[in-house]
Amino acid sequence: MTARVTPLGLSIMAVAGCALSLAVLSGRPELFVAALPLLLALVPLALRAPALDHRISHEVSRERVFEGERVTISVTVTARAPIPLIELLGPLPAGSAVVSGRHRAVMTVGAGGTARWSYELVFPGRGVHDLGAIAVRRRDRSGVRTWEDRHVDSKPLRVYPTIAPLRSLPRPAYPRASIGDYVSPAFGEGIEPADIRRFAPGDRVRQVNWRASLRLGELYVTQHHRERNADVVLMLDTLAEAGRTPETTLDWSVRAAASLATAYLARKDRVGLINYGGLIHWVKPAGGRTQYERLADALARAGVVFTYVAKDLAVVPPRVLPPRAVVIGITPLLDARFARAALDLAARGFDLVVLDVSPVAATRAALLPSPATDLACRLWTLERRARLAELHRQGIPVLEWQPPEPLELALARARRRRPRLVAAG
Amino acid sequence: MIRLLPAAIAAALAAAPVVIMPEPPIAVTALAGLLLATVAIAARWRWPATAAAAVFLVDYTAALWLAGARVNIAGAAGFGLGLLYLLESLDLAGRVHRAAVDTAVIRSHLGRGTGFGAATLGAAGLLVAVAGALAAPMPPAVAPILAAAGALGVVAIIAVFVTRAAARPSTRPRP
Repeated sequence: MTARVTPLGLSIMAVAGCALSLAVLSGRPELFVAALPLLLALVPLALRAPALDHRISHEVSRERVFEGERVTISVTVTARAPIPLIELLGPLPAGSAVVSGRHRAVMTVGAGGTARWSYELVFPGRGVHDLGAIAVRRRDRSGVRTWEDRHVDSKPLRVYPTIAPLRSLPRPAYPRASIGDYVSPAFGEGIEPADIRRFAPGDRVRQVNWRASLRLGELYVTQHHRERNADVVLMLDTLAEAGRTPETTLDWSVRAAASLATAYLARKDRVGLINYGGLIHWVKPAGGRTQYERLADALARAGVVFTYVAKDLAVVPPRVLPPRAVVIGITPLLDARFARAALDLAARGFDLVVLDVSPVAATRAALLPSPATDLACRLWTLERRARLAELHRQGIPVLEWQPPEPLELALARARRRRPRLVAAG
Repeated sequence: MIRLLPAAIAAALAAAPVVIMPEPPIAVTALAGLLLATVAIAARWRWPATAAAAVFLVDYTAALWLAGARVNIAGAAGFGLGLLYLLESLDLAGRVHRAAVDTAVIRSHLGRGTGFGAATLGAAGLLVAVAGALAAPMPPAVAPILAAAGALGVVAIIAVFVTRAAARPSTRPRP
């Protein structure tokens, strides 16, 4: 704990010195008397420092929240010796805002007393924060001496991207062997009828199609389509972003990735993630609730890392990018390296879909409205249209999404054009 | 609301020299001090407050010197207390700005200020009584030298206070 003279103490010293000087110069005894209260206020500087006997504890109401949700931070100060004045500066991470109460408190605590203070924060954007540090400044009774310290008790908070419910999803072309929700072209166990054939030894009686059997005069059985799951890899473009936090293209991309991951995991698919940027991070495809936590954690931390180096997807292990997986590239197409990587994946036979997160609206929202801005945005839109047409020509399906319109709308638009898309519900 | 207290104190400090010597230069200097105090109160800025206190002090000295009035110990102690309260109340106003404030903070400050004021007035009275008793047998020629030595002694004591406060080893709260 650092002890020092407060600015108030320095001010009192300056004024006291001024009073004494004027007293000597003018020879008026009143000025000595006027300096007396100021000098008496400085006496505690010469006294022994009081014992600092207090304890600070703080609690954070939740460890994980979604964007826009509130978190309450409660701080308790317990003092064994009296504290004339204590100032506390609670955590206020970048991007958060105080919605209730104040993140700074000034309080007096009596001997054996307890003081509590709380405030609420809202996090408009995703991220991982530590709400564990509280700056503490304790003052003595006269206010001329202060002790400063930091109370650190790690309280991590994860702010996950918001999830939009999705009904239409890009359907994988190649299902896996495990049981899932996709109707496979192959026959086997399932509930979706496929065909009928003559009864053969070994067929179960419950498979007999009695209507067909009566009409054709011999036993026929119904065959069903197998229902399988798929591997889905979300490839997030973290090479560049446009717009203002928390409405940047990367923020929207992360929200789209979280929504897609949730929807696919609900359909028993295995979902993985590749953050394709200055640093390549990945999450191996898997299913279940734990996988959602892994993906949400990775998405909450996703950020742009600038680099001039073109990253090669060959560094990604095959278990992260399984053959025949459907790869959904989520990108604003600001960096040509991502488009090249997408073409590389398509050339290697991956079932690739590109979700194009338009940066035009995000950029326009960050700029002052003017005719020049409108013209620039229109030119940019035309340029992007040409780039998307080039991807179409290369045979890569592109879903155009213009945030803040709902992602479902973009998927539904594409569903009308592409028969590969099926309803998830 | 909390800024009304320093504003009232500043007004009183500006008025005191004008009451002693109602002359235009004294009034103009008081207005200059008041202007600095207004800046300090509005901006919660400490150094204009210190400057305002110094200006009030210079104005008070000038008024006393020009008026050549009888020594008023209670008034001088009150003026000194006013300077101290001005600095403290401005400091408190800055501290509680945009902070969750416990009402006990204001209560304890007011109580401490009242107690300190009474103690200071008592100490001033005692000091003047002792000084009066000592001044009688002392030759008048020694008085300025004694005053200067006293002032130097006080400044030296302040320096010692500051040095000790800065050099004291850190103290950690017990777990």
